[in-house]
Amino acid sequence: MTAHPSMTMNRRRLLGAGVAGLAAASGLARAQAGPIRIGSTLALTGPLAATAQIHKIVGEIYIEQANKRGGWLGRPLEWVLKDDQSKPELARTLYEQLVTADKVDLLMGPYATGAILSAMGVAQRYDKVLVHHTFGVPSLAKYERAFPAWSLGSDPATTVPNTLFDALAAGPRPPKTVAVVTSKFPSIQFMSAGAREVLKKRGLSEVLFLEWDFGNRDFGPIANRVKDAKPDFVWVGAIGLDGNLLLDAMKKIDYVPPQHFYLYPAPGPLVSLPEAKNALSVTIFEEQPPFTDAPGAAEFIRLYHERAAAAKLPDTSVEVQAGASYTAWQILDAGVAATKSLDDKAIASWLKAHRVDTIQGKLRFDGTGNYGDDLMRIKQVQGGKWTVVWPKAYTAGGATLQAS
Amino acid sequence: MSGFTLPSATLLAQSVLSGVFVGALYGLLGLGLSLSWGLLRQINLAHFAFAFLAAYLCWQLATMGMDPLLTLALIVPLFFAIGAALQWAMARFAITPFNSLLVTFGLTGIVEALIQSIWTADVRKLESAYGEHRFKFVGLYAPLPELMTLGLALALSLGVWAVLRHTDLGKALRASAEDAPIAAAFGINQRRNALLLAGTCSALASVAGVCLALVSTLAPSQIYAWIGVVFAAVMLGGLGRALAPLVAGIVIGVSEAVTMAVTAPSWAPLVSFTLLIAILLLRPGRAA
Amino acid sequence: MSVPLASMAAAPGDGIRHAGRAGLPWRTPAAIVVAAVALAFVPLLGLPAFYDSLLYLILSWVVLATSWNILSGYSGYFSFGHGAFFGAGLYTTSTLLARFDWPFLWTLPVAAAVACGLGVAVGAVVFRVRGIRGEVFALLTLAVTFVLGTVIVNTPIDGGNGVSLAAVPVPRIGPTPSSTFYLLALAAAAVTLLVAWGVAVSKLGSGLFAIHDDEDAAEVIGVPTYRYKLIALAISCALAGVAGGIHALFLNYVTVGEVFTITVPLTVVLMSVLGGSRHWAGPAVGAVAITLLTYSFTAANHAVAGKALVGAILIAAILFMPDGILPRLQRRWSARRRDSAPTPLAAAAPARVAAAAGQRGEPLLRAEAVAKSFRGVKALDGVDVEVRRGEILGLLGPNGSGKSTFINVVSGHYRPSGGSIVFEGRELAGRAAHRIARAGIARTYQIPRPFAHLSVLDNVALAALFGAGLASPAAARREAMSWLAFAGLADKAQALPDELNLHQRKFLELARALASRPRLVLLDEVLCGLTPTEIDAAVALVRRIRDQGATVVLVEHVMRAVMALTDRVVVFDHGVLLAQGPPVEVMRRPEVMLAYLGQAPLPERVDA
Repeated sequence: MTAHPSMTMNRRRLLGAGVAGLAAASGLARAQAGPIRIGSTLALTGPLAATAQIHKIVGEIYIEQANKRGGWLGRPLEWVLKDDQSKPELARTLYEQLVTADKVDLLMGPYATGAILSAMGVAQRYDKVLVHHTFGVPSLAKYERAFPAWSLGSDPATTVPNTLFDALAAGPRPPKTVAVVTSKFPSIQFMSAGAREVLKKRGLSEVLFLEWDFGNRDFGPIANRVKDAKPDFVWVGAIGLDGNLLLDAMKKIDYVPPQHFYLYPAPGPLVSLPEAKNALSVTIFEEQPPFTDAPGAAEFIRLYHERAAAAKLPDTSVEVQAGASYTAWQILDAGVAATKSLDDKAIASWLKAHRVDTIQGKLRFDGTGNYGDDLMRIKQVQGGKWTVVWPKAYTAGGATLQAS
Repeated sequence: MSGFTLPSATLLAQSVLSGVFVGALYGLLGLGLSLSWGLLRQINLAHFAFAFLAAYLCWQLATMGMDPLLTLALIVPLFFAIGAALQWAMARFAITPFNSLLVTFGLTGIVEALIQSIWTADVRKLESAYGEHRFKFVGLYAPLPELMTLGLALALSLGVWAVLRHTDLGKALRASAEDAPIAAAFGINQRRNALLLAGTCSALASVAGVCLALVSTLAPSQIYAWIGVVFAAVMLGGLGRALAPLVAGIVIGVSEAVTMAVTAPSWAPLVSFTLLIAILLLRPGRAA
Repeated sequence: MSVPLASMAAAPGDGIRHAGRAGLPWRTPAAIVVAAVALAFVPLLGLPAFYDSLLYLILSWVVLATSWNILSGYSGYFSFGHGAFFGAGLYTTSTLLARFDWPFLWTLPVAAAVACGLGVAVGAVVFRVRGIRGEVFALLTLAVTFVLGTVIVNTPIDGGNGVSLAAVPVPRIGPTPSSTFYLLALAAAAVTLLVAWGVAVSKLGSGLFAIHDDEDAAEVIGVPTYRYKLIALAISCALAGVAGGIHALFLNYVTVGEVFTITVPLTVVLMSVLGGSRHWAGPAVGAVAITLLTYSFTAANHAVAGKALVGAILIAAILFMPDGILPRLQRRWSARRRDSAPTPLAAAAPARVAAAAGQRGEPLLRAEAVAKSFRGVKALDGVDVEVRRGEILGLLGPNGSGKSTFINVVSGHYRPSGGSIVFEGRELAGRAAHRIARAGIARTYQIPRPFAHLSVLDNVALAALFGAGLASPAAARREAMSWLAFAGLADKAQALPDELNLHQRKFLELARALASRPRLVLLDEVLCGLTPTEIDAAVALVRRIRDQGATVVLVEHVMRAVMALTDRVVVFDHGVLLAQGPPVEVMRRPEVMLAYLGQAPLPERVDA
């Protein structure tokens, strides 16, 4: 991943000749001469691998682009990536290895809430700054040097459902009755609980509330109960496969919910299902205007398509996961560039006090838990593609929320 | 725990049906496992990996245009051969029952890695023509792929039962399982029978895999999601039995489905597994 | 019939052999303690903290695998529920920390207690039910895991959101938090290994190994199987609970999905099998191997290929080391040391069976109206039998008459459906078989049931240890040697039962029965299958047994021996007592001949 090998080699030779003996003894020489090493783990194998592979591609793209520009602080970037096999205990230990044994300069977050919490613990112990891209439970983010790229805001359980119900209220068929069905997965459950509060406050009535065990295989009875409840709108607290399985089960009993919403579906598969027509979800970034107008977005999208296709991913489009991932790298980049250093304390202080330009927009980190604004927008499956439909300012081509 | 809601008769019946369908899949997956555990004395964890490999192959062939049911014609013989080959290797290296657990666990890891490298970790869903059909009777829905799974599970379980009970091969297999040296003394060709049986178990796994592809969504890590409940169905029914895994699977599936119909679905495993415990403790004198 | 789950590979002759290794019984625990103390200094080496965490993980798995093995490896009761007990400990600690602000170290004993209590509650119910063996026990424990997980995720203990322990301070035991966990795990691992070794060399361990091979035979020679299994389970669960408690704080954030699955039990099984599950240290070896293997393949570049490679290595490992890593290493070392045969134990003077207090001829055992039905089939329909002290009583009858059932009922193998059995003034009907054995009754099986993985000597020593109630395994061995000499098997002491022929195995049964110093010996067709010469030897042996003061009940078909040996006979037919009295006279009675031959007797021929 080094961009200018010849330049680097020359530099190395000069320094090496000058301070050969001292260089061996002190880390200082190594820090000056070599690449900037950024360490992280991803769930490259195990149940979380499907989404983690997106983050691997994005990271590689970012590093490559950065190195083409000359790296950070004039030094090339090297990504020290390890596989945490979807296990938080491994993530914790590997982050410790990265910090104490591999002695990386900076850290990047892993994939998903569990692993990020593990990494946060390690980062806290060694006072490292930790930028992460997929943390779903802001109330657990207590470390002052952790910065999120999954821009939920600090109270997403209230703000996200409100955005959603605003969108529905402005749509062609504002719902009156709601069914809330949700997985008991940590990053989902509290959001669904928040949705229940919000809908009550807005005067809607809840006709059904169901929770299922994470790992449930049989969605038949659940689909049946939803159908029986005859809701105007179904909130599905889905993560990964759940959404697909539920839609499948509903199709099998000839039931199409009038309007439906899926919180964190596995990217890709949902959109291609015919029965997912008009399904709603949340996003912070999609590959359509106005998101694509952000500086660097178009180029990133192009590269991502290339790499995803080369990796044989069935879905090569850029959406919220890839967007959050790229944003995370941009945040770290900005911190380093602004403070002109690799000093975690300085970077953290700067990030807290300033705004960062990313493909998601201008981010701030001065709220609770270093969260800023809730940047979640509502998107919908229209014509087999995700289309942003709310707020109006983020739609393109006059797209609006559709209801069958 | 949210309160009990009195379900409508349709809801209850549909849920029972749903439980039967998922139970049939448990039973189909468990059939080969039960046979190889009970008759071959091998705890074959790779059974699930084979099922998923078959599922992915079916998906692949179907995506390339082949009718999913027709893929059985290619997949079943292929996995028969794989199963027999594995058995040949296990016999050649004289692998004990416990060591077979370790070997097949290693094999599972290899197959999972293979699947992930070919098809990536993303979920795959087979969109087949069969998936579009469903039967409706008395207000209940029965989707075609699920019916096919149930049909295959019944047919294969009955077929295996008949072979075990009434044919010489079946008797030979059961005899070998009870007392191998004596059976050999009576002229039973155990090596050949073991190869046949192992091949059949793998073939059964592959059929279950095709059903998985038709009915469910595929991901490499899903291999492990079925191990717990299918082992439970196999152990509940007793090893080396043909009809028992299906019955046990349906018991588990229906008990979970009914729970999900009347109360919070997240309590479903509690009901099904408590029922399991009760059955095991109370059923009259089952010696090991 | 018997499920392969119980038949684990074993190195020959281990079992009680660990005990009483000549002269240095404390060598092993001392070595463990010394190693633990030495390893406690690792954090001071100033290595990167990562190594502390890696070592912590290895040691945590050592605790889990070794504790699992104490129940499942030793006794053969294969448990798939270790995740439940680990999780119980995990959630106990996290609840106490998060909700009640307890200091961390105090939560650990509570975690152990909760896990232990849970295990004992499960075991108390499950072990009582007859016929729970093999895969059924595995399934039950797996079901407990899912049940517990569901309960925890649906109640405020976890509720689905997980429990965050980020705010809990890690006690300063080591220089860094990681080293604290390492030291805690080191202590736990040392304790676990000491306990595992201690159990293996103790009476408890001997009993567990016997249960592994043949639980019914073990119960009948005096092993309190129910109690022992429960103790082993309790120990196993308590240790798993401690490991869970420590792990809760290590993880910082606990969720149900990580713990209450089949992964933990599957992993400990693999570790134990890989390391060698007969030996107390085997699982620890396996734990080290598999954890290191998992960690070697964390490079991102070929993550998927790495997974395949791990699988391939596991397969290769078990192909080359079918008994596990540790036995393979042991064989290498012992081959080098040329382990000589253990010093022949000087046989004590031929032991006497417990000298019976009381006169010859007094009633020793009185069975009244004893009945036994099996689901409607009346095997015994109210028999009255009296056994007099010092006699050899023959128990005769055609096949299916209830003779073996009677033996089984008296020895406690079956519970009688009715009637009373009074032995030396005590009522024994309905008591557990091991208590009957302790009371002074021993039996042999028609088809010998030796403990297959124990040596001939250990087979007999077990009976001395449990039936006769000798204090230590060493004393039991000495006693056993003298009984082997009595039975003429002294030169086969170190052999495995498999290596004996039928005659020798029958004599082994005899020696085993006698080693428990019984006052009443029940012999179930001990002569069947023997050649005439062997029969003569056996008859002589039975006489010597009686001469030593024991009373013998002899179930037999070989008439020659019956006539020669017995003082009195009783004849059963279809579960009732048909006749009793002196042998020659009883055998002449028409109803007896009818029962045996099924037709009216021919008139006696007068000519010679």
